[in-house]
Amino acid sequence: MKILVCVKQVPDSCDTLALDEKAGWITYKPSTVFRMNRYDEFVLEEALLIKENYSGTVIHALSVGPERVGSTVRRALEMGADHGIHILKPSESYISPFAVASLIAAYARDKGYDLIMTGVMAEDDMACQTGQLIAALMDKPCATSVIKTQIHPEDSTVIADREIEGGRRLSVRLEIPAVLTIQPGINTPRYPSLSNVMRARTQKQEVMRSEDLPLPETRERCTGVRLPDSASLGMFIEGSSREKARKLLHVLHEKSLLLERKSL
Amino acid sequence: MKKDIFVIAESDRGCITPETYELITFAEELSGGLLPTVIILGSNNETQAKELAEKTGADVLCVTSDHLKLYNTQAYCDAILDILPKDNPSWVCLAHTSTGYDLAPRIAVKLNCACITAVEKIRGNILSRSLYQGRFTADIIPDTPSAVLTVLAGSFPASVSESNSPGSVRMLQASVPPLKTETLGIKESEHRDSNLNDAEVIVAAGRGVGKKENISLINELAEIFPRSAVGASRSVCDSGWLEYSHQIGTTGQTVSPKLYIACGISGAIQHVSGMKKSQNIVAVNSDPNAAIFRVAHYCIVEDLTSFIPILIDEFKGFSLLRRLF
Repeated sequence: MKILVCVKQVPDSCDTLALDEKAGWITYKPSTVFRMNRYDEFVLEEALLIKENYSGTVIHALSVGPERVGSTVRRALEMGADHGIHILKPSESYISPFAVASLIAAYARDKGYDLIMTGVMAEDDMACQTGQLIAALMDKPCATSVIKTQIHPEDSTVIADREIEGGRRLSVRLEIPAVLTIQPGINTPRYPSLSNVMRARTQKQEVMRSEDLPLPETRERCTGVRLPDSASLGMFIEGSSREKARKLLHVLHEKSLLLERKSL
Repeated sequence: MKKDIFVIAESDRGCITPETYELITFAEELSGGLLPTVIILGSNNETQAKELAEKTGADVLCVTSDHLKLYNTQAYCDAILDILPKDNPSWVCLAHTSTGYDLAPRIAVKLNCACITAVEKIRGNILSRSLYQGRFTADIIPDTPSAVLTVLAGSFPASVSESNSPGSVRMLQASVPPLKTETLGIKESEHRDSNLNDAEVIVAAGRGVGKKENISLINELAEIFPRSAVGASRSVCDSGWLEYSHQIGTTGQTVSPKLYIACGISGAIQHVSGMKKSQNIVAVNSDPNAAIFRVAHYCIVEDLTSFIPILIDEFKGFSLLRRLF
């Protein structure tokens, strides 16, 4: 099996983000720490579990973005990916899921991957699109929100259980090559082993410049980023911690939400 | 350019989903007041199609075929593309559900058009969606004549017909294309906690709880209320701090208790969609900008690990006082 795992780098916390009203996009502070999108840790783990079951499996990890993204590709190598690919796109401005998917599909097209796996979404833009777009652009079958995978090498299929509303599962059989977007909770992502950390430190990453890949015209434009409309904010209870607790209990009591509990 | 607007209806166990009616309202706003054409796919779905036409007044195209009985990405995509007009741009609206976001990008690629997901608001042709769990809002405009959109549940009110005349229902057949995927079936959830549905008070834990040991604080707070239960955000369950039976939100359970106390919950829409109909919402979060404060009625900016013990302590004093006087 040859597996491509797509990982995204995201800021560790929203607290270090600022709005650049003029540029209409989010800017990072010097203190901003970046890490792998949590959803993607489950993807990499799932690929590693497949590799443990099917010897000869090779895992490639790919990320799209500026220089800083190299550290997330390295993280994937530390977790156990065999090869790291960085599609270098220097810009820090808005990049649509379609643009990212087009770059990945252009890179992956002639590489013969059996499975291409992504997280169900990213923590930053929460679009739920990239995996499905890659699949559609490459004309491959795709299952989203996958909470269980079962590879059947004998007939070259994968059975994927998709998590749907209310925690139910829709089971789908897909012909390989296929694209899977992985739901968190499917497994427990491992910590990197020391040997993999040492290996990743010196392992060379394949760097591909985005200009060298065909990129179709953009299909949508981000006209600005702003704070959400604040009209809908609730009532903030002020005071010391103890005062806040008292005021809250008072409110709950007035609304008859604090009923006597005999045991207390 | 004039565009045709289509809404893809969804049904769950034979019933049209509430999101479908919300989508019709969204589509009306998009077109400036005109009803969209609703497409419903499935098998034995004529009754549902008629119900939609009656309740909303919209014209319904009902595609019926055995191979559409259960959702299948490719089969549904092909059936929808067959219906869309070839010579006019179409805007296709879907709910941002496991079906909607599975299907939308594929339709968009086939139509060579923009795909904008998890839309919450619309102003003219500007579509707004959340970033970073609701911390920011991005305004997006499609640059293509056609577009595919998914709309978050609960963002728009359900559509109700103002006239007495039902829309038309047209029955259509779909041919079975060669498929690279086969839908095998649906398994029911193993995690259903009836406690959550019966509870009058739910105390819910988010990632802000910090570590598994702090879940005991959530339990203790829940215990001061009769008929209470403990809920959790998705990431708390993914971290193994609580079982999935406690999960509230899109892939978990939907609840509407009398009181919902969100502790350390950021307020990502995936969680909010499962609890926002609660009658009273209290949020405790150390981040004053947390999106949960846009849903909560009472907002407390505090670290929950220090605040919950104080709250419990005050409650004991409070109930003691009430018993004395």
